[in-house]
Amino acid sequence: MSKRILVTGTGVIASIGAGAEEFQNALYAGKCGIGPSTNIGSDDCSGPAAEVWNFAAEKWLGKGIRTLDRSARLLCVATQMALFDSGLDREPDGELGLVCGTMFGGLHSITSFDWSGVVDGPKYVNPMEFPNTVINSPAGQAAIRHKLRGVNSTISAGLASGLYAIHYAAEFLRLGRAEALLAGAVEELCQESFLGFHKLNLVSQNGSIKAFGEDRDGTIPGEGSAAWMIETEEHARGRKARCAVEICGFGEAHDAHSIRSYHLRGDGARSAIEQALRASGISAAQIGLIVASANGSRSGDEMEARALASVFGGRLGEIPICAPKAAFGEAMGASGMLLAVTAGMALLRGLAPPTPGAGSVVSGLRLAQEVQPIEGEYALVNCFGCDGNNAALVLKRMA
Amino acid sequence: MDRVVITGLGLLTPIGSGKSQFWERLVAGTSGIEPVKAFDTSAFPVHLGAEVKEFVPDPHLRRPPEELGRASQFAVAAAHMAMADAGIELDRYDRSRVGVSMGTTSGEPLFVEQYNDIRKSDGLQSIPAQMLPKYPCNVIPSNVAIEFEMHGPCLMIPTACAAGNYAIGYGYDLIRTGRVDLMLAGGADAFSRITYMGFARLGAIAPDRCQPFDKNRKGMIPGEGTAMLVLEPLESARRRGAHVYAEVLGYGLSCDSHHMTAAHPEGDGAIRAMSMALRESGVGIGDVHYISAHGTGTPTNDRVESIAVRRLFGEAADRVPISSIKSMIGHTMGAASAIEAAACALALDTGVIPPTINYEERDPECDLDYVANEARTVHPRIVLNNAYAFGGNNASLCLARFEG
Repeated sequence: MSKRILVTGTGVIASIGAGAEEFQNALYAGKCGIGPSTNIGSDDCSGPAAEVWNFAAEKWLGKGIRTLDRSARLLCVATQMALFDSGLDREPDGELGLVCGTMFGGLHSITSFDWSGVVDGPKYVNPMEFPNTVINSPAGQAAIRHKLRGVNSTISAGLASGLYAIHYAAEFLRLGRAEALLAGAVEELCQESFLGFHKLNLVSQNGSIKAFGEDRDGTIPGEGSAAWMIETEEHARGRKARCAVEICGFGEAHDAHSIRSYHLRGDGARSAIEQALRASGISAAQIGLIVASANGSRSGDEMEARALASVFGGRLGEIPICAPKAAFGEAMGASGMLLAVTAGMALLRGLAPPTPGAGSVVSGLRLAQEVQPIEGEYALVNCFGCDGNNAALVLKRMA
Repeated sequence: MDRVVITGLGLLTPIGSGKSQFWERLVAGTSGIEPVKAFDTSAFPVHLGAEVKEFVPDPHLRRPPEELGRASQFAVAAAHMAMADAGIELDRYDRSRVGVSMGTTSGEPLFVEQYNDIRKSDGLQSIPAQMLPKYPCNVIPSNVAIEFEMHGPCLMIPTACAAGNYAIGYGYDLIRTGRVDLMLAGGADAFSRITYMGFARLGAIAPDRCQPFDKNRKGMIPGEGTAMLVLEPLESARRRGAHVYAEVLGYGLSCDSHHMTAAHPEGDGAIRAMSMALRESGVGIGDVHYISAHGTGTPTNDRVESIAVRRLFGEAADRVPISSIKSMIGHTMGAASAIEAAACALALDTGVIPPTINYEERDPECDLDYVANEARTVHPRIVLNNAYAFGGNNASLCLARFEG
């Protein structure tokens, strides 16, 4: 179980940019990806969103994508980028697999398929659209697209799905079942999820995310996909792969409190962070960067601030924090992966990206609108959900 | 690493609830397939389904049942049964080291159906907010965690019709790596018109009965249900003096990477999953005494599965009985391989393997021993549980009789 797991390729597509370079440039420029939604497709609901703007999957994937829904396209793009970035696409001898985190899968495909049955009758539903109604459809489509014949798992743990997927994939490697895997996550923004955010009063009335802000009033729904190629150290070194970061310890804790509200005490969140530190064999003092789960929610951000304060104590004010959901929105099942990718980039640069819109922040947190230097080689990534799932992951910069 | 054993079983199936009723009816060859009651099938060319009959939410439920979707109600009820069966006293456990992993195809699809019904009758704005948080599929294991105040790992692995095996496999990993002391693992799916419409439109649903591997098989029968298994380290089962149904030896996962709905014609993915499960379990071809088939009853699935077993086992395949309980309980989707894993555990525990019912005429393309129509006493020592899914997701789980 002592195998080290390294990241050797990155792919990302979100509202602020597509591809590691564009995403990173936007992140460090403090760009915010939120704007008036265009893809929701209904007069009944519209509003600000962090969409993958002007998403044209054929730009990356070429032909043969007609039957892929938006979530499958996003995942195919991100996994392709990670695959190419790792160079493993040119070594086709191995059996690569894919672990994909998602909260809803192709929710719009599921709803539309049923809708056509309701409106036109069961005999008139399009059989070509049925495969898109299973939650593992994006992962299955990406496997076909990229010839991934190894493990193919889809992981759902609500807003924390992305981090759970990374951990599931890393464990698969540690247990010796594979030497390299794609770990990814995807979420599309669609009418149904968008409506859910609004109906449940989760959306900010001022149209922006003020992560940890004193005057925060909600989040903004987002979407996207990100993926890493991860490998055992032996495999990565053996092929002289470029290694960016190491995946260290993971922590997970369920609040067992409610499926629809954050547990303000933050017990689960604190426990997840502590487990991640312990599993990494490091102390809280060694963390040089915190990539926060904060999405502008009154209760969610309060819970996270409380958990951080109880883990880091008085030193919390010295550790740079960034809350990149303020840039790419609450991307649901994809959030954890997008946060982890952000943390990886920050460790490599030795700089924490700014958090757009950070104004008057709750006291005790070093969250800034400017780029901040990072001391040390470890970053903590938090990903907490209002359904009780709390996950935390520690990453380490490779020397 | 710790050895992992199964010490509790909870089930809700189309032929009965609880391990005793389920097993009694399963070995008797009982069919749970009847005309669909969940919705009107008059607009469909087929009318049969395998529903859980007369389900009433668990009386022990700690919250009002309407706060949970049907699949969650199933899962929580089965979890109560499994915990009672295993004799678990949760107060003796560190709750941060107790978890739940589940599989599903559709999660809580009835909320999508309600969404569309309301959208049609009254418009989108009339959709009630309180319905929405109950939909995401991970809410099912979350509801189990809430019911039992379990603070450990909690996740859904929605790998469609192979999901139960994935979830049990992950629970096994969490125990043997020492992350948890107790795991509830299984699957749940609720009868859904979405699934029914899809399979009907593909022409995959049998009009009269489910006849896996028979020459005249006409398709599968959609179903619903759940199975929850209590997994724990062997040491803790010993300490508690618990009854051990079976030991989990290992599992294998693979992807066809071929087609979203059709299996690889030569069964390549299925072979990789079975091989990986056997390799991880340290088990040879000749050691397998029974295979619980995915065996949906569709012409393609059963042919490909038979080919895969033949290719992997060679001549030894003639000596390995293989049966499909879907002939009796229909295809319970993401719950299927969890229910089948429970059946495998009971087969190992009792020495009896369940039959494939409605088997009448041999198909030259399916040339194995399908345990036709009558249960058989073979005292299996090692069994393999196969499951295949949309997306080309394949999972094989290897279980063994517990011999101390």
